Amino acid sequence: MPVNGQENRPGFPPQGMVSLWVVLFVVWMAANSTPAIEVALLGAAVTFALAYAFAASSEAWRRIRWTPAGFYHFLAYTGTFLVELVKANLAMMRIVYSPRIDIRPGIVRVRTRLRSPIGRLALANTIALTPGSLVLDLKDDVLYIHWIDVRSTDVEVVSAAMAGSFEEHLEQIFG
Amino acid sequence: MIELIGSLFILAGAVFLFSAGLGLLRMPDAYTRIQAGTKATTLGNMLVLAGLAFYHPGWIFKLILVIYFVLMTNPVSSHALSRAAYRIRTPMTSATMADALAEDDAGGDGAPPEGSARGGPPGERTGR
Repeated sequence: MPVNGQENRPGFPPQGMVSLWVVLFVVWMAANSTPAIEVALLGAAVTFALAYAFAASSEAWRRIRWTPAGFYHFLAYTGTFLVELVKANLAMMRIVYSPRIDIRPGIVRVRTRLRSPIGRLALANTIALTPGSLVLDLKDDVLYIHWIDVRSTDVEVVSAAMAGSFEEHLEQIFG
Repeated sequence: MIELIGSLFILAGAVFLFSAGLGLLRMPDAYTRIQAGTKATTLGNMLVLAGLAFYHPGWIFKLILVIYFVLMTNPVSSHALSRAAYRIRTPMTSATMADALAEDDAGGDGAPPEGSARGGPPGERTGR
């Protein structure tokens, strides 16, 4: 990553543009579900323009790592996430169907190591879908989380319990 | 046979969606309701869409795309709703244990001011 005064003037192609282009093109082809060459060409042109516009105007796309390690961590993250999503739903059903709802909710802090905006967005989204937690606010590196069953208000303990397993994977993908 | 599997997926999804609805009725305050709504509707939607893929194998890529959109946007909407609810001081249930956000807002030293993005000057927020 270049660290000089020229960073504000994006070169061509802007950093991160090619990967964004590939992702958008895959989305285009999936939405059309046809291998027709005209559709692919039009899609290539449209997604090129979109990728250029977004990559040139925002820094958010620059830090994603497209390496085999990043891919492995993406898969590991997806697996952990799906397990946690099912656990979250079962925990929620247990509360919803219990005769008397006996919960102790509260708002706690979680500190994150992630630097990039997209990484933080992914972490916040993940926490919203894992058992008993909901992101209320984000200030700098602190996430404010509504926890349905507060067991600790200590930042370190809560961070490890909620973000720990995801953070290491997301850190490898997004930085 | 394949349609039976699809139907089972859709049934499981419907059970989760029903639980989400029941959660909205039974939970004690706005935040816990948002929690019930977010999680159960996400998994419920995913299961229903996965079941639909068994009925219409040709739609599978589009359905995967829809699943990803739900997966990415559902938590964001829950985030926006709960933050808005907190900003207009929607009361929390009396069982609430801790409120770190209120502590940091009141202290004001540690948290950096972010101007308009945080919902205006502090005086305005006491109006409700």
